[in-house]
Amino acid sequence: MIFWVWVFGLIYAGMLVFASLKSYKKGRSSEEFMMAGGNIGLSLGVLTFAAALFSTFTFLGMPDFFRINGIGAWIFLAVSDGAMVFVLLWFGYEIRKKVRGMEFRGVSGLISRCYDNKLAGYTFFLSAFLFLIPYVGIQIQGIAIFMDAAFPESLPAWGWSLGIVLIMLTYSEIGGLKAIIFSDAIQGVLLLAVIWIIGWVCLDHFGGIGPMFEKVGTVKEELLSTPGPQGLLTPQFLLASLIAILMIPVTQPQFTTRIVVMKSMNTMKLMAVSLGAFAILVILPTVFIGMYGADLYGELGRDEFFANAFLKDQHDAVAALAIIGLIAAGLSTTNAMIFAMGSELRGLLTGAEKVIMKRTKIGIFVFSTIAFIFSIIVFDQLVLLARVSFAGTGIMGPMILLGILSDRKISPVMIYLSLGGLAIFLLSLGGIIPSMYFGYRLDLLLFIILGISAVGSYLSSEKRVVSDTKVNE
Amino acid sequence: MEKKKLYWKICCFAAVFLCIITYTPLIIPQGVAKPMLGGVPYSLWTSFIITVLLVVITFIGTRVHPGMQNEEDDL
Repeated sequence: MIFWVWVFGLIYAGMLVFASLKSYKKGRSSEEFMMAGGNIGLSLGVLTFAAALFSTFTFLGMPDFFRINGIGAWIFLAVSDGAMVFVLLWFGYEIRKKVRGMEFRGVSGLISRCYDNKLAGYTFFLSAFLFLIPYVGIQIQGIAIFMDAAFPESLPAWGWSLGIVLIMLTYSEIGGLKAIIFSDAIQGVLLLAVIWIIGWVCLDHFGGIGPMFEKVGTVKEELLSTPGPQGLLTPQFLLASLIAILMIPVTQPQFTTRIVVMKSMNTMKLMAVSLGAFAILVILPTVFIGMYGADLYGELGRDEFFANAFLKDQHDAVAALAIIGLIAAGLSTTNAMIFAMGSELRGLLTGAEKVIMKRTKIGIFVFSTIAFIFSIIVFDQLVLLARVSFAGTGIMGPMILLGILSDRKISPVMIYLSLGGLAIFLLSLGGIIPSMYFGYRLDLLLFIILGISAVGSYLSSEKRVVSDTKVNE
Repeated sequence: MEKKKLYWKICCFAAVFLCIITYTPLIIPQGVAKPMLGGVPYSLWTSFIITVLLVVITFIGTRVHPGMQNEEDDL
């Protein structure tokens, strides 16, 4: 396998170097560095959005989620993604309309302008920081675990994590957002190819889709229906997950930025549809891998399942491709998230452009360091942590939607409510307050309360006077 | 333009409707795997169809969205 790892690794590294050099431009403006010049075409757009969305979480997390919770995992992610691309189409139009004619400097900067209140930007930045950084950390950890399984005793897990962070920093420093988008494109293609090869091998083990479910039914019948063996995938959990995932294009800055930097409205809408098709194609083989795991490795832990299903049971070349695919998946997603955090920080800073860029780069370095620390200390199921990340940033959804959609002068009440919602959600995550009230999940209640508050705030606000609008734009 | 607005509203309604029925016992009856289709459990094949329909609705949405065609950056 080592031979194949070197072959694919060198090809991948060569492509990365080529992409970063192609993106590097001496004397480039900060706009070019942070926003890729706002000129991303359809193919790159689909692949970068898909790569940022489908990461280690999909590659490793979803097969594990299917293995443990059964077929309801499809509703958790695929149905939610199907609905999310519709939201992407609608929201993409609205946000592009809003930012037309102004320099887009991240959601924090935009939302501060929409509310005429910097606190709105800081609130959004805080939620992104709190919920994206741990997610980045666990992605890095996922790669480290996998590499440790592939090459035991060669490096400690933290050594792999550190290597990933260093590559990520160097790469984004040289090429900026454009290089990240190129690496996303490479990763998108690689992910799709690898996941299908492994999925196909797993399906072949059963001899077809029908026999696969028949066999899994004999192993654990609860895997064939909701809520699954652990009782996790209840309608309420799935509905709250849907809302959290629907909010991804609105509240996760790496996606919002990608919507804005698309070349035109036309490419953006085609990207939305293609992303939906891509989602189905990527998630489908994870069902096969998950069912394979349920059949053969149902009683094993997460790490043993990964090591067996992705490495030991595969041909050497496929296992090597899986390793490179996983590195690519983790690298591009973490890159996208950390860079988006830098972008958000930039939107909040004021002063000379050169100073802002310097502080932004320092910020990217600091975020990477914190993510690295998290990768060593955090331990959780990939999918569940991703869901917490989606839900945590999703709490900001009503505030952002109100700011972007409203043509009225909005009261800052929504900012305070969102901050309150964020604090309550954090308290429940820390186990300080309960996460269920009157039989309902807290995240679902927060989404509903904040959504109703946003509508109420809109209806009770006054129309902007023309001069006011001009100041904001 | 009026027709487009109507079609867009129909798309929005259809997307919301599909999302809502997904979380009812119609699609996810608790603990029930039958009737199967080609050996695929009930909730999986029905939700697979819903996912495909949502993508199809998004595609139709790109054609009928009332604002998109008038955008100058499309020209």
